Amino acid sequence: MIEIAPEKKTRKFQGIDFYNNSKNQSYFLLPFRFHRINSQKEIIVNEVGDYLILPDGTTEKIITRKINKELDSELYGDLIANFFISEENIPPLIDVYATRYRTKKAFLNDFTTLHLFVITLRCEHTCHYCQVSRVTQDKEKFDMPRRYIDKGIEHMLNSPSNHVTMEFQGGEALLAFDSIVYAVERTKKLAKEKGKEITYVICTNLAVVNREMLEYCKENNILISTSLDGPAYVHNENRKRPGKNSYELAIEGIQLVREVLGKDRVSALMTTTNLSLEYPVEIVDEYYNNGFRGIFLRPISPYGFALKNEKKNKYETEKFLNFYKIALNHIIEYNLKGEFYMEIFARILLRKILTPFPVRHVDLNSPAGIITNVIVFNYDGYVYASDESRMLAEMKDYQFQLGHLDSHTYEQIFYGDKVNKLLDVMTNESLPGCSECAFQTYCGADPIHNHSTQGDMWGYRPTSTFCQRNMEIIRYLIELMDSDKRIKKIFENWIN
Amino acid sequence: MENFIKDNEIVVFADCSLYTKDSIFKCLYWYGGKFHTNVSLTENMYRISLIPQKNVINISELELYLQKLERDLIDFNLRDIVTKETKNVRDLLIAKAFSNGELDESPPGEVSDPVGFNVETVNNDRDSS
Repeated sequence: MIEIAPEKKTRKFQGIDFYNNSKNQSYFLLPFRFHRINSQKEIIVNEVGDYLILPDGTTEKIITRKINKELDSELYGDLIANFFISEENIPPLIDVYATRYRTKKAFLNDFTTLHLFVITLRCEHTCHYCQVSRVTQDKEKFDMPRRYIDKGIEHMLNSPSNHVTMEFQGGEALLAFDSIVYAVERTKKLAKEKGKEITYVICTNLAVVNREMLEYCKENNILISTSLDGPAYVHNENRKRPGKNSYELAIEGIQLVREVLGKDRVSALMTTTNLSLEYPVEIVDEYYNNGFRGIFLRPISPYGFALKNEKKNKYETEKFLNFYKIALNHIIEYNLKGEFYMEIFARILLRKILTPFPVRHVDLNSPAGIITNVIVFNYDGYVYASDESRMLAEMKDYQFQLGHLDSHTYEQIFYGDKVNKLLDVMTNESLPGCSECAFQTYCGADPIHNHSTQGDMWGYRPTSTFCQRNMEIIRYLIELMDSDKRIKKIFENWIN
Repeated sequence: MENFIKDNEIVVFADCSLYTKDSIFKCLYWYGGKFHTNVSLTENMYRISLIPQKNVINISELELYLQKLERDLIDFNLRDIVTKETKNVRDLLIAKAFSNGELDESPPGEVSDPVGFNVETVNNDRDSS
């Protein structure tokens, strides 16, 4: 009797018929979300942010099983390859897909990395939108005492991350330069013992900077982050100080920093106000003319003192979006002429849209970046979930105050009851309106914005400025890439 | 039943055998910022009503909102199909993503190598060393 050998299983590649699993000419849907880009196009996005832009009506055909493997072979192949549909109820490569999902959320692995030390609340500016600064000489009252610096450093070095950022904020941080030196020296010693790497950043308007300070920064590899709101007639109007010369001091300071530290050691941030909205092109040009090749077109924060000055700051989101688009288009024009110049908010979104990598940005993470990414040690010892949280506290709203350096341990602050209560509202996957939004993986959850603008941490998407702004900017970026391949190339260049 | 606009009220009907309750409420969620919304069920038809909030929208735009609502209802019904059909796969995907490998499965088939060494033996050798 002839014995029949059992069929040998192998992992070698088989013929094409072997992989044809759709014998019944149907397929299974996999999780995805969709959105209309414009009247002709719609976008489908899967769980890890891969997307396909399709002619209007195609999504309906996909969902109602009207895509034919032979007749629509190219689309069918794209849908299979990008995990929109599967020929088996569980896709054979689900482990690969799960690994990609885990990678997208890998920003959680290091937990809190950015530690803000509000080293002083003193400032010599009186910006109308500023939430926190105090024009005072009272060091005792508004500088961070050494015992709080010590405790903050201890908490920072307890972070599971091997590489943390220590950022000094104000007020005007350089008014307390002696405290910065104390903090850096102490951190250097303790970080070495614990094997941690530290990136130091000083946020400053550069009005009081001098060469001696910068020499210390050079010795200790400290980065400078400054403010530049645009041309003098915008910057000086936004940032009031005696002498009305904030702009001139900022420009001189930037030049001095570049001279002492190097060109790439200083970055600038702008704040958009009602006045700024009239000058999108001029602001973009101002950054370019001062040697910056990136600009962060930020809307004004709705927190703290900014809310009090409603007439100046509570412009409609549509006006900001119009400003943003004009400015972005102007930046793209620079690039089309062969210059490298990027918009940083767009870059953050584009990295989420075009790459498989995790992106750390406090306002665009899910779970939210508060606590999981950033923590604030205030000058008075109180610990807040983010910079915006301490601004709310200045308005007597202590919702996001997590504890105090005198009385709370690391565990009580970072894993305490208050943080646990926040967890429900920190994932946009579970928020009404966000749960089925196509841009969910590109966007994030911002319970502090919801709380401060709408009165509850869950938020209400139909009237949320956060939602309106992010949805339209994401849609616009995708539409730009789809309409002009040159722009897609430029955007790809920004994220490399 | 025909959809209509009367006395500044938009009224749309949806057959409950075609549209799920979830899809109707998820759709109407997005209209709550500009309209007073109401849903009722009579004779297997949802009656959906939108009445503009004061000074929020221009009354001349109601026809556009009617068209938008009709289209959005279809979109949200499609979204509901995807959500419900794919719930288990999504749960499995996320469970696997955060399982540290406990839920991973070996690929089907056996490893064969034309060179001829036995992978499992090699692994065992490494373990014993």
